[in-house]
Amino acid sequence: MRKKGQDTPVLVIGAGIAGIEASLLLANSGRKVYLVEKTSYTGGNVIKWEEVFPNMECSTCMVAPKQQELLASENIELLTLSEVEGVQGSAGDFTVKVKKRARYVDLEACIGCDACFDPCPVEVDNEFEAGMTKRKAIYIPCAGALPNVPAIDTENCLRFKGEDCEACKEACMFEAIDFAQADEELELKVGAIVVATGFDVFDLTKAPQYGYKRFKEVYSAVEFERMRASNGPTEGEIILHDGQPPKSAAIVHCVGREEKGYCSAVCCMYSFKFTHYLRDKVPEVKVFELHSDLCIPGKSYQKFYEKVRESGVEFVRGKVIEVAEKDKQLVIRYEGEDGKEDTLAVDMVILTPAIEPRAGSAELAEALGIPQGDDGFFSGRDLELAPVDTLREGILIAGCAQGPKDVGDSVAQAEAVAGRILSLTR
Amino acid sequence: MEKKIGVYLCECGPNIAENVDIDCMLEAVSSIEDVEVAEKYRLLCSEDGKEFLRESIKEHGLTHVVVAACSPKQHELTFMNVCEEAGISPYLFQLANIREQCAWITPNKEEATEKALRYTRAAISRVRYHEPLEKKETECSPDVLVIGGGIAGIRAAQSVAVAGRKAYLVEKSSSLGGKVKEFEKLFPHMNSASDVIERETRDLLAKGNIEVLTESEVEEILGFLGNFQVKVKGKAEDEERELSVGAIVLATGFELLNPEELLRYGYKKSDAVYTSLEFERMNASGEIVLKNGKTPSSVALIHCVGRGEKGYCSRACCLYSLKFARYLKSRIPGVKVTHFCSDLCIPGKSSQSFYEETKEMGVDFVRATGIEVAGDGEGVTIEYEAHAGARDSLAVDMVILAPAMEPSRDARKFAEILNIPLGEGGFFAEEHEKLAPISTPAEGVFIAGCAQGPKNVADSVVQAEAAAGKILSTLILGKRLELEAKVSHISDAFCTGCQTCISVCPYGAITLDEMRKVSVVNEVLCHGCGNCVAACPSGAASVRHFTFTQVYQELEAVLR
Repeated sequence: MRKKGQDTPVLVIGAGIAGIEASLLLANSGRKVYLVEKTSYTGGNVIKWEEVFPNMECSTCMVAPKQQELLASENIELLTLSEVEGVQGSAGDFTVKVKKRARYVDLEACIGCDACFDPCPVEVDNEFEAGMTKRKAIYIPCAGALPNVPAIDTENCLRFKGEDCEACKEACMFEAIDFAQADEELELKVGAIVVATGFDVFDLTKAPQYGYKRFKEVYSAVEFERMRASNGPTEGEIILHDGQPPKSAAIVHCVGREEKGYCSAVCCMYSFKFTHYLRDKVPEVKVFELHSDLCIPGKSYQKFYEKVRESGVEFVRGKVIEVAEKDKQLVIRYEGEDGKEDTLAVDMVILTPAIEPRAGSAELAEALGIPQGDDGFFSGRDLELAPVDTLREGILIAGCAQGPKDVGDSVAQAEAVAGRILSLTR
Repeated sequence: MEKKIGVYLCECGPNIAENVDIDCMLEAVSSIEDVEVAEKYRLLCSEDGKEFLRESIKEHGLTHVVVAACSPKQHELTFMNVCEEAGISPYLFQLANIREQCAWITPNKEEATEKALRYTRAAISRVRYHEPLEKKETECSPDVLVIGGGIAGIRAAQSVAVAGRKAYLVEKSSSLGGKVKEFEKLFPHMNSASDVIERETRDLLAKGNIEVLTESEVEEILGFLGNFQVKVKGKAEDEERELSVGAIVLATGFELLNPEELLRYGYKKSDAVYTSLEFERMNASGEIVLKNGKTPSSVALIHCVGRGEKGYCSRACCLYSLKFARYLKSRIPGVKVTHFCSDLCIPGKSSQSFYEETKEMGVDFVRATGIEVAGDGEGVTIEYEAHAGARDSLAVDMVILAPAMEPSRDARKFAEILNIPLGEGGFFAEEHEKLAPISTPAEGVFIAGCAQGPKNVADSVVQAEAAAGKILSTLILGKRLELEAKVSHISDAFCTGCQTCISVCPYGAITLDEMRKVSVVNEVLCHGCGNCVAACPSGAASVRHFTFTQVYQELEAVLR
């Protein structure tokens, strides 16, 4: 029986771990895949982490073979710097409008040698490193951000501010810099659409009591991950702004949980991982984990918790009232389990912000004609029985676009989406 | 046969040429025996470069090719394809990495050149002994065996059947629906579980293409991805079926830990103590009554029963205990409900609002450890330790325990039949916890639902559909499976039949030929990992493309 949509191409939105996995399964089955990615690289959030719990595997090393396979796949057309603007039609017969911004670097000609970086006169904060390092206007966000080809950031590049700078072009031996490239409007015909746009983290400045951005030794989990990353700003050294390692550190769980109204499912586990990072790099450091309920579901997670606990860390159940600075230390005032107030003085505070839907999810939901929940995540057709289908047939969701989850659950959803597409629109 | 080796040095623009003396290298490699041609090129991976390489191979009638350039991760495949296009086997090619491993990391040009030359010489020494390996293919069956007729098994069977595959669903008991059919409602939307199972089963049977074998058990599985032979025993003594399938989904579900093993919870000692499944069934019967016929006016819900003993959190218990509080509140006006838990585990986007709404119905939560249920008659007392360390107690009419989820009793049997490992808690181990959560080390064998670990209905459904995704992506109707060419080989002449290789093979790819008493490699299952080569005491095992001669020649040239 031949059904509508058989062998039609599939559009996957988002090249994080979920989007990559869905694309690979679909492509290996023989389907053509358009993989649309907003940034200039694949790998999403996962390649920002140094290691993943509970086996402490190097994250970029873990994902790199998948990225390579993706780039080598003849069935996958990767469209970086691209965004979906509108969708028309129905399952089996969608027409998708995609805006593809120019990279100004030829993907075929460039070999990723970095020769163009030094001559670029512009220096701005590298958002991939949470602003902890600088980058040029022509840049690759970090090692592991594949394809290993830079992009020109038109907001900061002097040429796009009317100046006649050609420094990068002059430095390139391969004639890969191409200022003549232009943004494109593409129209893709696809049978199904996978939404795998991933997550952002809760804006910590919205909870000022934690002192984020007010005190320099208060870090977000993302900043701390990049600090520990061997390809990051400190090449993996855990140090304070004065260059010294912290003598004590507190990891605060559940930041933004109350504001968002849900548990983000992964923070407890990655907090334990942070303790492991600290123990590993600064053996003498005193570590506190300030938590409420520990959420460590799944067969292997408690073992990890117990291992970390044995390595020496003080678990304190309490609710943070305020973080203040006193005598070059951070003082956390919190309400303990017994309802009494107490304080904790440390050199470094690491906050674990709630996971929230990607910025721009509302616009994408509008363009795709699919609903979001009150929390902003895309809603499945039925939370229990059709978790990856949406109300619009032919449009499916995977990974953190559907709700907070870890890498394993994101991959499982991506594979489920592939299963739905390969069974329903065959 | 006469060997004509071509050696091509890539300058990679300035990337290699700036720090490695390419001309010096060129001169050195030109004089090596069997080197027919040695050339340098500015950028071999460019379109022009590939064209140059292709034409040069043809022009000189080369038999082997060495390229000294970047990391094999970057362009090994690129150049292997060029070789194939030029008419020689891609396995008669070797790449020497003189960029990442020389030019980019060895600051002294003389030293970098020396190192690059050694790598290139090693590649030449090795490539001489390469064999033109054959890419093999095998026929495969697109059909699927699903073991276990719970929600995960039903869904997996449905998904593959819709795609036009025949699915065999084997269930040990007399009906489909697994544990879910024993529930009254499903959280968080509180849909009727029996309605859901009825609808799912109806949908399943309507798909055609599905054969449901209830009261049946899988007795034997032989074979490999694409070609499994399965023996299924029916309820009658002589009823036996043989099935041929390409893939297998293990959806064998879970059991609840028996709380009798944990005396402190008073299960079976007091009539007032129930397990969660007993309570589900009681509630599904339409009435909540104690064995003495009375309606309870106070109920304790005890979380995490057996968690300490099992060493893991069962993930679904907190939420279903919240669901129980709702059952109680809706059926018994004024009932006092108290949760006893250490940590509330309610991950995910909609769980917390379910918790908050339940709490607002007037449900109490006590954070407690060291819980004991005392009393053996009507009504019992919960004794516990609250946060400050002080003991406290609460008398209740009824206690509902949330026991840990354990793997099905059949898990071990299937692990042995399929030669796959059991992991944490005795659940089937994934091939990779993060990147291949529903795959097993045995290709073509997948795990879905609670067979993989404790989880709720939604996550079980996701895994079932994921298993379908993996299967539909791998086994394609009318397409043959391409096999790995770099597989292990065991020499009959040297094998002593000691079977060491069999014990170290993670893929179950080696078997003993009972007649000849030698080990035999199944090339479909072998991944070429080399474990057998390292373990073989008599040197009988080798991996194609990594033979002793090839590796030895390469090493010798590097060190010479």
